[in-house]
Amino acid sequence: MRRLIENRFGLLALVLIALAAVYGGAFVSRPAPARIAPVQPVKAAIESVSTVCPDPGGATISAVTPPGPRGSGKAEVLDGDKPVTLSEAGRLWQKTAAKDADPIRVVATGAMASGLEAARISRTLTGDARGLSGVRCVEPGASAWFVGPGPAAADLTLHLSNVEAAPADVSFVVYAGEGLVVTEQSTGMVLKPGEHRTVKLRDVTTSPLVMGLHVIATRGRVTAAVEVLLGRGKGADWLPLAGEPATRVVVPGMPGSAGQRKLYITVPGEQDTVVQVKAVLKDGSYALKNREDVSVPAGSTTTMDLSTGIGGQPAALVLTSQVPIVAGLEITGTGDLRDVAFTAGAPSIDLGSVVADGRAGKTQTSRLILSAPFEAASVQVQLLPKEGAPPAPTEVAIPAGRTREIKLAGDEKGFSVVITPQPGSGPVYGGRVIEEKTSSGQLVTAQPLQMARTWALVPPTTDSPRTVLP
Amino acid sequence: MQTPVHSVTAIVVAHDGARWLRETLSAVLGQTYRPDRMVGVDNGSRDDSAKLLTQAFGPNAVVSMPRSTGFAEAVHDVMRRLPPAVQGTEWIWLIHDDCAPDPRALETLLWAADQDQKAVILGPKLRDWLDRKLLLEIGVTVARSGRRETGLEPREYDQGQHDHDTSGIRDVLSVSTAGMLIRRDVWDELSGLDPKLPLFRDDLDFCWRARAAGHRVLAVTSAMAYHAEASSRRRRRIAASDDHPRRLARRYALFVIMINLPFLAMLWSMLRNTFGSLLRTVLFLLAKQPAHALDEIVALGSVLFHPGKLRRARKARKRNRKQGYALVKPLFTPPSAAIRRIFDMIRGQLAGAGPMDSAGRHHAVAASPEEEGEELLNDDGSVLRRVFGNPGVRLCLLLAAVTVAAHWRMATGGLLGGGALVPVVGGASDLWDLYLEGEQAPYVAVLAALSTLFFGKIWLAVAVLLLGCVPLAGFSAYAATRRIIPYVPARVWLAATYALLPVATGVVAEGRIGSAVVIVLLPAYASLATRVLSDEGRPARRAAWGLGLLLAVGTAFVPLLYGFVFVLGALAALSFGGVRRGVGVSLAISLAVPILLLFPWLATFAANPTRILQEAGLPLPADPRLPPEALLTLNPGGPGTPPLWTTAGLLAVALGALLLRRHQLIVAVGWGVAIFGVLVATVVSRLSAWPGVPLAFAATGLLVCTALAAHRVAEFRKAGGWRRFGALLISLVAFATPLAAAGLWIYVGARGPLTWNIRDPLPSLAAAKSADGEGTLVLRSSGGALSYTLLRGRSLLIGESDAAAADQEVTAAVAGLASGRGGQDARALAARGVLFVTVPAPIDPLLRRALDSEPALTRVILSKSLGLWRMVVPVAPPAPPPPLDSFQRGWLWAQGGLVVLVLILAAPGARPVEPEVQFEEQVAGERVLV
Repeated sequence: MRRLIENRFGLLALVLIALAAVYGGAFVSRPAPARIAPVQPVKAAIESVSTVCPDPGGATISAVTPPGPRGSGKAEVLDGDKPVTLSEAGRLWQKTAAKDADPIRVVATGAMASGLEAARISRTLTGDARGLSGVRCVEPGASAWFVGPGPAAADLTLHLSNVEAAPADVSFVVYAGEGLVVTEQSTGMVLKPGEHRTVKLRDVTTSPLVMGLHVIATRGRVTAAVEVLLGRGKGADWLPLAGEPATRVVVPGMPGSAGQRKLYITVPGEQDTVVQVKAVLKDGSYALKNREDVSVPAGSTTTMDLSTGIGGQPAALVLTSQVPIVAGLEITGTGDLRDVAFTAGAPSIDLGSVVADGRAGKTQTSRLILSAPFEAASVQVQLLPKEGAPPAPTEVAIPAGRTREIKLAGDEKGFSVVITPQPGSGPVYGGRVIEEKTSSGQLVTAQPLQMARTWALVPPTTDSPRTVLP
Repeated sequence: MQTPVHSVTAIVVAHDGARWLRETLSAVLGQTYRPDRMVGVDNGSRDDSAKLLTQAFGPNAVVSMPRSTGFAEAVHDVMRRLPPAVQGTEWIWLIHDDCAPDPRALETLLWAADQDQKAVILGPKLRDWLDRKLLLEIGVTVARSGRRETGLEPREYDQGQHDHDTSGIRDVLSVSTAGMLIRRDVWDELSGLDPKLPLFRDDLDFCWRARAAGHRVLAVTSAMAYHAEASSRRRRRIAASDDHPRRLARRYALFVIMINLPFLAMLWSMLRNTFGSLLRTVLFLLAKQPAHALDEIVALGSVLFHPGKLRRARKARKRNRKQGYALVKPLFTPPSAAIRRIFDMIRGQLAGAGPMDSAGRHHAVAASPEEEGEELLNDDGSVLRRVFGNPGVRLCLLLAAVTVAAHWRMATGGLLGGGALVPVVGGASDLWDLYLEGEQAPYVAVLAALSTLFFGKIWLAVAVLLLGCVPLAGFSAYAATRRIIPYVPARVWLAATYALLPVATGVVAEGRIGSAVVIVLLPAYASLATRVLSDEGRPARRAAWGLGLLLAVGTAFVPLLYGFVFVLGALAALSFGGVRRGVGVSLAISLAVPILLLFPWLATFAANPTRILQEAGLPLPADPRLPPEALLTLNPGGPGTPPLWTTAGLLAVALGALLLRRHQLIVAVGWGVAIFGVLVATVVSRLSAWPGVPLAFAATGLLVCTALAAHRVAEFRKAGGWRRFGALLISLVAFATPLAAAGLWIYVGARGPLTWNIRDPLPSLAAAKSADGEGTLVLRSSGGALSYTLLRGRSLLIGESDAAAADQEVTAAVAGLASGRGGQDARALAARGVLFVTVPAPIDPLLRRALDSEPALTRVILSKSLGLWRMVVPVAPPAPPPPLDSFQRGWLWAQGGLVVLVLILAAPGARPVEPEVQFEEQVAGERVLV
């Protein structure tokens, strides 16, 4: 030992041995690379819903809370001075509103709010408004998108309501075929709490044949709905809410019946774009021949006729683009006097979806059009009749990249539909179409399936001072 | 011209002054103008004074007085007995027993008196008794602080430099009573010296009154006397009072000022002197001169708390005070002298020169010039040249330039933050408030103190500490090794390498302010630890206190540091404890001080021991998979660190140092520290903590041992031949590490999470509109997860980041709000004082929709950079935080007091200047009577 220390190289050797030992220790103790587990949001029951059914005069108001785990809660229909309390979950409530009624609010808290769905459908056989016209009752929001025919092609009425406690500043922007339309009348509307207002879009601008409409509440929140009257014999309906602009938009719910189909695409940004259009049909998904791409100038709306090629087949459309877009679809029925229906870009119904109003009978048929454009999916469809015990739920499997159409054989008095994706299912998009055969021609209305107000996804939340850093 | 006839009575007052009296008497008797009458007064001397006086003047001319008689009283006694002279102008010549006048002194004074009828008090030029060329006084004046000013340099030799003006006659405020010639009518008019001032300042008081009455006081430079200043130099015991002469001098200084100034000027002076005395007391305490401090404060007290005395004395001086003030005022010391003195004092204190001298110089202080360090000796006077000629300063500037070059492209325009650093907002007072709320990490107080120094700006303090980490570390490494490593090039290499270690650049990139502080302090630890282990006695103890204090600062930022140092300290105590006396105690002090200063905070670690791995700032976990080769090359990994090969030069040189036989032990110790450091770094790293601090320790061990051996390279170079080539090669390899690190840093640029353009997370609108206590909830979603924090009135302060456990109810409410499920979540938040909800960019559309759909919120702003929502429901302002309980408050006070105490103990003490005088003629244990 003494010799080792006194040797010139002894100490060097000792240090090198020690370093090697440290290296070895560090090498052995090095952990395996950790896999980063993706964060999973948690489902939490929605505890409060407030919707407004616009222009209920003469229309049937349907409201339903699907059955589920029960707790305390209350759902009410605020129609005039007499609030009606929904009796129980899983039971459809319907009422035909009086003429010239104010917009009806459907509000719920607690357990009765979980999944509450309300809709208004009117059936008119004569006049400009001939047809089935339906729309989901609307939740207040700060932004709402609509795509459809413009004031030059149709008589458009924008129904605005402020049911909140704070006043709302509302303005709207019209994206016409030629570009952005901003007028004095479209900005600076102030809706006091509880105020309802209708705006005739023809009073604002007359020229656009097609339009994307963006209603913005710069302060407060409003409900917005758009009623479309194309004119005598051309049909009428309401525009459903289109989703926020996105680079991939799925427009579901194209029924398998005959008739004209017209796609509307709005590009709200400041960049021209080319939109790839793909149809998801019963036997697969295809790019449409010769209509693979649509180029849309920035800030404008364009249309594409899809009557040929996929006409007569239930379908969903998948639109992809470099810049965010908004899209909607016009469905025209057949017959001497025609009726129209609209569907629009919608999210996948990962947490389930509820349709308040389904009809079946000798002349009326309700159908679900379900698409799984990306991955195979399976859903459970449960009908909730207005009266009597609900039938057994049915399972529907949809192969990847396909669309399936399901005819809803429900109670003639009316029923609601609850669609629940099964665990492990891919994203499902869908729509519901009601058609009625009349002697003068088919009546039709449609709505894209929206996510049910059953669950909210609660993100994993932490109190972290790091939040102040980007 | 006829010479007026004078009649002079010389009065010699003696008190235990036989040592000097013989010579004094012969000098008086040997005057060319022989005094007409000579009287001796003996104030109860216990030596031969009385006998000597009787021998010289005869028994009839000697008066005996009690021992406690003061000088003024003695003279008064003589004057009462003295019959008026029959003819001529009558003069009194006061002579101390330790003051020998020059043979021509009286003649010259009388000649000067003849020149000016108004000259009524004259004094000779006083020189030192022993060193007879040394000037003591040519008249004195006074500063408004009561300080006696001679206007002379310390130890100034008389070469006639003050004699030429006005033929050797100087108009002065006052002359010393030693050799003072007074016209008797003036003595009677002003009732002479004030017996209430038995020892000091009686001369000043008397001359002041004479001046105020319109007379002239002259210092005659051609007359000379040699003065021993026996009383004030403590060459003899003072019998007139029991107190220490210093305290007496200070008391009478204040007293004389206050009784002679007109009323308003007195008030002002009183205020000023009170403040000044308190300040001086504190400074004396800091200089570890408690006796001085006590004297200062007691002197002040004895003046202020005796208003009766003051009033009586003022009443007696009422007559000419106000009118005569204009005559006296120009003779005071100019105010600039005070400023100059403060400057000198600070410089002296820094150099450890000696005590502050508030009483004023009664004589030239016989202090030997300080021995200065090797570098201070070769300067040539200019401060700038001295500073910039110092290699350490040059290195620091160079490193600062490297830092600037590396950060040149850093984005700016917002707040400084990122990585472990919260965006820096607020001012020093906010930090102090935060700390005084209690339960905060002690580093908050350190940062608050630093920010206060940096003009109250936290960002400046943080920027200097963090961005300046590299140059500061370089400077500190250079300065700290001064005592350890004499070879300057080695020190430069050590400092440069240390400052540019991968750890240092990593610290800057990740904004780890805690590690930055430790890296800057680490060389100081090494230096102080060396002193603790190698010095003896007081310096070692002082170093131990200093080490303890700095360790406490470092531990407050990086708790891991303490554990590390504790192990090293224990090892050092084991190996050195037996070798040198007191090392064990000193090490124990160093290790106990951090525990003592940080106690309640450290106690919280017991509940959660893993917290010891966290450092100041936001928790920023490191990669637990740090490769072993990175650990061995002292590279902590992560942003801002250079490639592994950068430190190869350092390792090669350090391994080479192992081959030198002469320094084997030191090099082995250095390597031991290094291996221990790497080992700890490995453990720390595997626990997902940042291994920077242990790696910096390891590097310090390597650097110090290598630099200690580096002078061998110089020997090789001198040896010539192949050895010279070897020396060149070694230098090249050694300097490759800092050069490569600096080059890469500049080339790559300082990247990393730390930037200077972070947006304030609190929108200005929310800050402006929220009342006290109302909060703003900041939400940020990334990858599906949501994080939030609640800001109250301002963004998080730098210490708030690691406080407080999360409130589960708030977390649940925030999650519910962000999910958009409706319900009572927003109201629950409003009940906790949340007024605003803000989402900084990028705004998750789902989150935005959820907030938009919440009825209790209304949107205020939605732009590309942020969204802001406001509650429409009533917001309950939260209850203010509970006040500190008495323990916490007491602890904060105690902590402050302890810090001051440790600072005092650690500060370089003044060296004793006043020699401990032996009273040869005193009987041991004898109590002197008053």
